[in-house]
Amino acid sequence: MAGNNTEEVEGSATTETKGTTNAEVPPEFLIKHPLQNTWSLWFYDNDRNKTWEENLIELTTFDTVEDFWRLYHHIKLPSELRQGHDYAVFKQGIRPMWEDDANKMGGRWLISLEKKQRNSDLDRFWLDVVLLLIGENFDHSDEICGAVVNVRAKLDKIGVWTADTSKQHANIEIGRKIKEQLGIHGKIGFQVHRDTMVKHSSATKNLYTV
Amino acid sequence: MSASPIARQATNCQAIPSRRVLITDPSQMPDVYSSTPGGTVYSTTPGGTRIVYERSLMMSLRQSPISQTPPKCPLPAALLKNPNSVPNVIQPTAAQKARSNSISFDESQETFSMDL
Repeated sequence: MAGNNTEEVEGSATTETKGTTNAEVPPEFLIKHPLQNTWSLWFYDNDRNKTWEENLIELTTFDTVEDFWRLYHHIKLPSELRQGHDYAVFKQGIRPMWEDDANKMGGRWLISLEKKQRNSDLDRFWLDVVLLLIGENFDHSDEICGAVVNVRAKLDKIGVWTADTSKQHANIEIGRKIKEQLGIHGKIGFQVHRDTMVKHSSATKNLYTV
Repeated sequence: MSASPIARQATNCQAIPSRRVLITDPSQMPDVYSSTPGGTVYSTTPGGTRIVYERSLMMSLRQSPISQTPPKCPLPAALLKNPNSVPNVIQPTAAQKARSNSISFDESQETFSMDL
């Protein structure tokens, strides 16, 4: 009896081991998950010998969750970039500049981070913003153009760019979702690109606030 | 869509749900390529089909072996966490030789191309 029991236990242990080996790679890990949109990753280099536009470089595009992570795992986090550098993630075909046709009528939700937040919040906020975008987590995700992170000496900034400032309902939904996802307690403001063009961004008035 | 691996552990193993749809006539086939008989894979949202991922699912896919592989596209060394881990690194010196493709980090190169 005792011998039989041991054998049974051994037998079942073997089966279990086999089972775990098979289950080690969950089916989700065997495929790439397609995104709704193809996204471009841009980098702003801040080389003084180049024009603003020459400094803006489209590094690559990605259209699956896994390809996003491949990039993310190998490139520096925003907090590791030199001051003056930017990352931008935009829908393919939209350049991260006001002048682009898709941005002409648009604006941005602006999150300003104090210097002390560079270590605590900047990287987390940027990742969460990008995941909101590429996962299409907004009810009005058609209005999304992209997002930019500016690493600067004074204030680091994250901007979520939308296409049409006149769509109040859509823009406010987007602003609320960003605020909720990032866990921001204070107010965040929405600025019209045309206003930002003529004024220093800190002086630009907010069209919407949430 | 599918549950995260963590969620799966909590709820035991489940077979991937499947459904057999018997087609007896070509007219029963969907009229668009993106659809399969009986419905689309990703289901639909009001206003059309949209692929939506929750943050938690994307975070779990972060651990996938595919997600760990280095990107193949050329990237400037200054941007990389570990330049040795990526096959296609644009070194500032190497950039001065034989640069024929689009991305240039060499300021002496005047033919920087950009789609305008």
